[in-house]
Amino acid sequence: MPEALVILLTTIFVNNFVTVQFLGLCPFMGASQKFDSAIGMAAATTFVLTLASAVSYLVQNYVLAPFDLEYLRIIVFIVIIASLVQFAEIVIRATQPLLHSILGVFIPLITTNCAVLGVALMNVHQAVSFVSAVLYGFGAALGFSLLLIMFAAIREQQPDDNIPMAFRGTAINMISAGLLSLAFMGFTGMD
Amino acid sequence: MLTGTLVLSLVGLICTGLLLIATRRFHPNDQEVVTLILKELPQTQCAQCGYPGCRPYAQAIASEDAPINRCPPGGDSTIRALANLLGRPALPLDASGGDGIAKVARIRESECIGCTLCLPACPVDAIIGAPQMLHAIIGEACTGCELCIAPCPVDCIDMLPLDQSEVTPAPAALPCIHCGDCIPVCPRQLTPVQLYQQDQSLDVLVSLRLTDCIECGLCDRVCPSNIPLTKTFILAKQRLADRQTAALDAEQTEQRADQHEARLQVQSVTSIPDSSDDLLARLKGEA
Repeated sequence: MPEALVILLTTIFVNNFVTVQFLGLCPFMGASQKFDSAIGMAAATTFVLTLASAVSYLVQNYVLAPFDLEYLRIIVFIVIIASLVQFAEIVIRATQPLLHSILGVFIPLITTNCAVLGVALMNVHQAVSFVSAVLYGFGAALGFSLLLIMFAAIREQQPDDNIPMAFRGTAINMISAGLLSLAFMGFTGMD
Repeated sequence: MLTGTLVLSLVGLICTGLLLIATRRFHPNDQEVVTLILKELPQTQCAQCGYPGCRPYAQAIASEDAPINRCPPGGDSTIRALANLLGRPALPLDASGGDGIAKVARIRESECIGCTLCLPACPVDAIIGAPQMLHAIIGEACTGCELCIAPCPVDCIDMLPLDQSEVTPAPAALPCIHCGDCIPVCPRQLTPVQLYQQDQSLDVLVSLRLTDCIECGLCDRVCPSNIPLTKTFILAKQRLADRQTAALDAEQTEQRADQHEARLQVQSVTSIPDSSDDLLARLKGEA
């Protein structure tokens, strides 16, 4: 159990995928305009990331490795991730139609979220067991969700702020993200 | 190589099968979004968005075929509400939907019977009128929704292309060039050019016979600088009337004060003895 906690804390804070490893930046910038949609995006990504890391671990260890097919790893992982994303989209469209229409193209874009494929590929080398693989994926998803929601909360305050004309829009978002990343560097020494 | 192909096909097949099952189980629920969008639209069914009614437009918004800024009756508030609901940026109003020409309703005055049936039909209160009185449409407020056409019993409402001159204000006035064009047109033989120059001094204006102005507006029409001469004369007359009223008020107040003073003087001279003392003295006398 302490080991599980260590994996979670590491992936959420110390090795956060967005601020430290710089993965999954497109939805981080794209889907953080509104707090509500950021929570929806975070939930969808958590669902996909956790399942993707579990399935990819199983496929890697019980299909690809025994048949000596490791050269097919990336393409197989992408097929799995794409199917999971499609599944998530079908579920969201049926249960949360407004969220589906707000997120729009960002749900299919989870497929190309490099954090998802990144976690699956890192698991090949890092994970020692199925549970640790799932925890690693789940922790990465929690870290991503935390950052996405924090950033959305920051961006919702922006209309009230007196931002210089030249910094409006993407520029101030990049600066905020950079400051957030700097803050997360404070966790680096915790290993 | 063969195993690779087999494994890849197998993975693909399993994923496809699972997705097919999921599609059967979960039906897309797009109608709910359409309903939410429809609630924000003004329900004028005016088709100015280029769609036959509010619901088709809501469907087009939901499927991202149409921008959220095509609803002129809703205006900015609807655009803001939709932008908030859908998380899309609020755009400025685009009234070019339909056939691309913004239209306003106009009442044919000779045919209007003053029935007031069109008044409640107007969603933006752009029609003014009273029973048995000629109705008129405020061109600036009319959204061109055509809702007033159906209730009109005599069919006297037309949809006309928006006449810009009806909406835009008069051109800005330029300085007076003393051309004197306004002098010959005045029916009361006034000199509007002088009246305009002497605008500040009321006594001079009175000597120039300001009070003779009948506010006919003929001088406005000939003025090459578009100066609203009649308006300045009306305001000057108003100031003059105010000054006269004030003078009259002051005079009346002074009179009242004088009368008050005089009454006090009379009272002090013929002072009435205290009635109780008088009664007491009479009682003593009788006793």
